[in-house]
Amino acid sequence: MSPDLVHDLMQGPLAIAHLGLEDVMSGARSSGVAVSQVAFQPPAGGDPKRLQKLSALRKPKIAEAIDQANQQGLDKLLAAQPQLVGVGIAGDWIPGMEADLFLHAGPPIEWARMSGPLRGAVIGGILLEGLAQTPAQAEQLAAAGKIRFAPCHHHQTVGPMAGLVTSSMPVWIIEDLHSGQRSFCTLNEGLGKVLRYGAYSPEVIERLGFMANILAPILSETLQAHGPIDLKMLMAQALHMGDEGHNRNRAGTSLLIRELAPAMVRLKRDSAEIAQVLAFIHSNDHFFLNLSMPMAKCILAGVEDLPFSSMLSVMARNGTDFGIQLACLPGRWFIGKAQDIEGLYFPGFSKEDANPDIGDSTIMETVGIGGFAMAAAPAIVQFVGGTADDALETTRRMGQITIGRNPIWTIPQLGFAGAPTGIDLQKVIELNMLPAINTGIAHREPGIGQVGAGLTSPPWECFHQAFDAFYEHCQQLKEVTNATD
Amino acid sequence: MIERVIISKGSYHDSAFLMRLSREISELSGVAEAVVLMGTEMNRQLLADAGFKDPELEQATPMDLVTAIRAEAQENFQAAQQDLARLLKVAAAGVGANQSERIYDNLAAAMQAQADINLVSIAVPGQYAVYLSDQALDAGKHVFLFSNNVAIEDELRLKQRARELGLLLMGPDCGTAWLAGVGLGFANRVRRGPIGLVGASGTGMQEIACRLHSQGLGISQGIGTGSADLSAQVGGIMTEAGIELLANDDQTQVIVLVAKHPAPAVADRLHQILTAIDKPVVVRYLGQSPRVSVAGLSYAADLDQAASLAAAFVRKKKYQQPDITPLAMLGTEAKTPGRLIGLFGGGSLAAEAAMLLGEAGLEIEVPDHPLAFDGGVEGSAHLVIDAGADFYTVGKPHPMIDQTLRCQMIRAVFADPKVSLLLLDLVLGDGAHPDPAPELTETIFQARQQRGLHPLLVIASVSGTDLDPQDLKRQILLLTSAGVQVPASSARAAKLAAAVMTKGAGHVA
Repeated sequence: MSPDLVHDLMQGPLAIAHLGLEDVMSGARSSGVAVSQVAFQPPAGGDPKRLQKLSALRKPKIAEAIDQANQQGLDKLLAAQPQLVGVGIAGDWIPGMEADLFLHAGPPIEWARMSGPLRGAVIGGILLEGLAQTPAQAEQLAAAGKIRFAPCHHHQTVGPMAGLVTSSMPVWIIEDLHSGQRSFCTLNEGLGKVLRYGAYSPEVIERLGFMANILAPILSETLQAHGPIDLKMLMAQALHMGDEGHNRNRAGTSLLIRELAPAMVRLKRDSAEIAQVLAFIHSNDHFFLNLSMPMAKCILAGVEDLPFSSMLSVMARNGTDFGIQLACLPGRWFIGKAQDIEGLYFPGFSKEDANPDIGDSTIMETVGIGGFAMAAAPAIVQFVGGTADDALETTRRMGQITIGRNPIWTIPQLGFAGAPTGIDLQKVIELNMLPAINTGIAHREPGIGQVGAGLTSPPWECFHQAFDAFYEHCQQLKEVTNATD
Repeated sequence: MIERVIISKGSYHDSAFLMRLSREISELSGVAEAVVLMGTEMNRQLLADAGFKDPELEQATPMDLVTAIRAEAQENFQAAQQDLARLLKVAAAGVGANQSERIYDNLAAAMQAQADINLVSIAVPGQYAVYLSDQALDAGKHVFLFSNNVAIEDELRLKQRARELGLLLMGPDCGTAWLAGVGLGFANRVRRGPIGLVGASGTGMQEIACRLHSQGLGISQGIGTGSADLSAQVGGIMTEAGIELLANDDQTQVIVLVAKHPAPAVADRLHQILTAIDKPVVVRYLGQSPRVSVAGLSYAADLDQAASLAAAFVRKKKYQQPDITPLAMLGTEAKTPGRLIGLFGGGSLAAEAAMLLGEAGLEIEVPDHPLAFDGGVEGSAHLVIDAGADFYTVGKPHPMIDQTLRCQMIRAVFADPKVSLLLLDLVLGDGAHPDPAPELTETIFQARQQRGLHPLLVIASVSGTDLDPQDLKRQILLLTSAGVQVPASSARAAKLAAAVMTKGAGHVA
């Protein structure tokens, strides 16, 4: 018995945290004791098996190893210095990229199970690459297994919505100054009928042509003239200007234009083309999303293969499935059903039109912004008829399932508290609290595009599977600690 | 009759709320029975066994609220369904919550926000209590563990861990403690003073604290250990810790240990420890005859004597056995015919009364299963009933908080002409019923009118102090005005009852 701890208690004053029946504290309250009431919720949602596993993971030496790995992971996230270094062609830059390989958002999926928007994007990609002449032929080609599919994440790439990347597409090149790690993402096409929402009409293919032939070269030359751009700092400024980095990217896009424009107008290029490029960026609030996503991927790549860390390294969906990966089990997907999105619909559309959750853009939440930084963008909650207070509350809640805070990405509305960063699988399970995701809603039919935006959560199944696997993974620790005892 | 369940997804509520909901829905017309539970595996099984076959029941999780209703007709069920929806809506709006107080989402958040928290108090269902206790210990906090239904292996592990960390883990099933002058759980308001309590029995500690307070004394600390601490498995870990603390505490002059049914080996070991302490120690093992006292270690014969011995040590006076029988009460007959029924809210007080009555030569039965109370009392023996026993309180509030069940029992006792003496206890203080006497006396008054001329003596003890929020004097006055005899302690009440039964009671009631 340590005399100090108990002595302090017996001398008082008491300060109590209380869970459960309030009457138990009536005496203490009437004596004027500070009682912090905790709104008790059964840990692990009351599931006895998971509760038992959580307790086992809490054993001092195991918990210590996990905490240490998590702290290391957080340090890595914070140390990363992702820079925008250039624009290149996917086939030249993305590792393992080939002409018949199509990258897509989310976990692996075969043609037969692809949702409408992803199928549409694949058809568009086939047409773009000239592998077929008509949509019907393209569909036959895909159905016949002539196209190889792989998740973007398997190639250090991320893509919003369908996330389709083919070898001729231009991509942003992001590089971590700190580790040399690279990541990639296509350029954002804009709103309306676009490939990422599964549109493949001639105007879509034509726009992709403009992007490859005019937009990408000009951006590439501009970046060569300008030098690398520190994306983390740009993101930090955007958070102070009302973006949360997933559903609202207006500030980030504006900041990017400011950054690029002086170098761009000095290029020895036709000024009409430069004007076209600037107008194109300006017309699309989400232009910056295709930079912030690979920035997030570049940062999170640093935590892949971090034994015993319970941190999530990937959250991604393909319109059919929602998949997550853990830092400690790199490359292994835990998969559940992609969820519906609660949100507001553009005029003329309704819930019946919506495709389930799709896209790699949940990499933003994984890195600690998007839904996690909702407090920075109160306008976002209007998508679900919420209030500015709801936005603050969401960020506050997400702080409970994360490992730490990001001192670079601060939120003015929360007294410049850092964005909650590093999703901790153990806390998700313990507190029975899923990550909050801000996202756009795709039409379930290919080719129609975005029909709304809103909020959603991952399915529980993938977290439950991941937790079981994490528990198994930590059994090694048990053996190690037993051996050293 | 139709039997249906309603599943309300994803809404956890505590047992106090569930009981209130059960009660409100049960009271609707056309509803024969309503139970509101969380959808744990055990509860689902319970409902299935009770005949609720709804396939939806299978799907319920521990986070879902399950309302099982037995209604006379479909329209009654629908009305109940609507009422449930209304009550849940009101609850969701947080009516009645203390708005000025910050409510934390979880324990980690509270401990992080309030770094000065030194004690975590846990009063949640037992299956979740262990996890939270570990979390509190991890964070270096002492634990007051009010929850029961915690496995003994978990209790042992938690206590060993707490001991290693130099922390107190009071419980599980710890109803009462006083730390730094603050009462936790069921606790009377008593002044601070030189007597330190360690107890595995909540009401036992309360009664001793009240007796000391009434003698002008007070307590330094009251360390609850949980009811199973002196079992062979747990081995008295927290009891020993508590004794050590009080032995080293400057404010404590005398130590009193109170516990129910210690394992003999544990009592033997504690005996060794206690004899080595250089402060006077008084021990009361409830429901047992006292062991042989040695120098500096006195085993008391009842709670009253435990308090009086402690008081004598503090005042450095010789202990004198009080003469407790009010002679005016006693008649000349050989004995009172008929049965004695004890109806207790405090489990320890029940055990103590059963022992004292037994010592007086009465054959007392302590039922280990729920009895029927319809128009009379089952059987023909003298009974001491713990109305707070688990089998009476499953899904229902404890009789110290809600007297519905005990009043129903009292009516049955009065309806039974073979019963001639009713022995009650009343525990006041924080956590207990805010004003128990009016309901009890009203019940007794009405039941007596129904009963007619058959005499029935009612004796009640009141564990309370003049500082308690219920107003001790008023509680006693109400009881005596209903013809209830109120001796000065629970031991005296039991002894008076024994005297009346064995020696006769003269003209009563």
